[in-house]
Amino acid sequence: MSYRIGSAQGFYGDNVLSALPMITGGHVDVVCFEALAELTLAILQKDRLKDPSRGYTFDLAIIASKILPEAFARKIPLICNGGGLNPQGAARMVRETAARQGLHGLKIAAVTGDDVLTRLEDLNEAGEPLTHLESGVPLNPAEYPIASANVYLGAAPIVAALQQGADMVITGRVADPCLYLAPLIAHYGWSWDDWHRLAAGIVVGHLLECTGQVVGGNSLGVIDQIPAQDLNKLGYPVAHVEADGSFILTKTPGLPGIVNAATVKEQLLYEVHDPAAYITPDVVADFTTLRLQDLGADRVQISGVQGRPRPEKLKLNLGRLEGYMRELIFTLGYPETWRKYAQLQTMIAETWRGLPLDRVEYQLLGINSLYGPLAPLPAEDPLELVVRVMFTARDEATLKHAVRLMMHNGLSGPAGMSVSGSTVSGEPRIILGLFPTLLHRAHITPEILYLEV
Amino acid sequence: MPRRLYDLAYGRAGDKGDIANISIIARTPADYQDLKAHLTAERVQAHFGALFRGQVVRYTLDNLEALNFVCYQALDGGGTRSLRIDPLGKSLAGALLYMVWED
Repeated sequence: MSYRIGSAQGFYGDNVLSALPMITGGHVDVVCFEALAELTLAILQKDRLKDPSRGYTFDLAIIASKILPEAFARKIPLICNGGGLNPQGAARMVRETAARQGLHGLKIAAVTGDDVLTRLEDLNEAGEPLTHLESGVPLNPAEYPIASANVYLGAAPIVAALQQGADMVITGRVADPCLYLAPLIAHYGWSWDDWHRLAAGIVVGHLLECTGQVVGGNSLGVIDQIPAQDLNKLGYPVAHVEADGSFILTKTPGLPGIVNAATVKEQLLYEVHDPAAYITPDVVADFTTLRLQDLGADRVQISGVQGRPRPEKLKLNLGRLEGYMRELIFTLGYPETWRKYAQLQTMIAETWRGLPLDRVEYQLLGINSLYGPLAPLPAEDPLELVVRVMFTARDEATLKHAVRLMMHNGLSGPAGMSVSGSTVSGEPRIILGLFPTLLHRAHITPEILYLEV
Repeated sequence: MPRRLYDLAYGRAGDKGDIANISIIARTPADYQDLKAHLTAERVQAHFGALFRGQVVRYTLDNLEALNFVCYQALDGGGTRSLRIDPLGKSLAGALLYMVWED
């Protein structure tokens, strides 16, 4: 009997109800929900500053009210990292929801220990240099306010919670594929130095963690095969994993989607750097030795994954409040299109002269907004130009002032120019810069809180 | 119509911080040998020019008949700092697949 893992969330805002057909159809033994992109925690910090009981993803309320009763009735555990900055607060919300629905004997585990925001100074004094992973520059805490600082935990605390009988495990930052590795370790009892099997579990997780992307979504490989009306109804992926780590990747039966060699290859290399060294907290996985066999009928078999010992250091991502950005979109039409574009740029430069703006960037939508210098500009006056102006400052007030000043030019600008109203009435958007660094694992001790109904 | 890389391959782009990766997956074994021999990191770097401010590193996967290009300082500072309309660089694989491919 293989062990079946379903994946029902690939980002904060994904359709978590995709778990229901997996569960009610009897197609899975466990369901995982991956909610945290690189900067989601910095965004959740804004919620938490407003209300200390928050800081977790809103999707968890849907999981608790709509999915947990069905899963609990069938003894199918749920694992979610959407606890964000407040897994214990999320667990309390889930307990209240479950109690209201009359569930009894339910055990919820909240995993903490990834959040080191209040420990940065101590860690620095303990000899952690906190240098930027790419540039090597040390962290300067005075440079920008730090909104979040979370270490990527591995599978261990989730495994412990499952072994204690948890029906739902809620975590903060756990490395995405480790969410999916954890139930495999708990089920099969793989040892923590069984590197090849652990690496196989990481490949399972990596293929599942982006839900729709492995069943025909965001795919060039099957773009001519997947019906457009199926794209918003994809059956999210399920892996059937054997004790030796080999597995078959498929989708929720009876729902649309495609799983074949192309969709699996595309997802296998998604967000990967060195494919021979995919680094996670629990193992370094090698994607270059695995064998992939398309069995047909939306089933792809993967075997032969190899792994090497886990790293001594864990990745730590800091989210910093670096300022604000604002967008305005102007439209220019024939004739004299290029002259009008030059007039607009000069008018903006004159209007904003002396304002403390950090950046002002121009993009021509439909011409060079995606690929910049790769796109040649038409020499003749085009019939239309859509100009996107992006500008940034350390504070919101400067951006609002810049927009007001520009609007004064409403009747004085280039002939026939218009401005997109929704961009005029828009608001400055926060710039949360990412600062990745490393931390020795000895500094990190995950803790588990159990709540019962 | 010129022959383009898309005639030999498909692919997907992903982001981590200011680093973009672009997978290029061959359509046939012969296409893979062609790509492995001629689609070098230098050629990809030259194709993107000033869009990327850092290096391009290439990895090969014979088992998948695919190449993976890791592009540093490629996303205008990365996801939430970028002022581009596609801040995560989701469309970047397409820019590479647009490359004209001579036999």
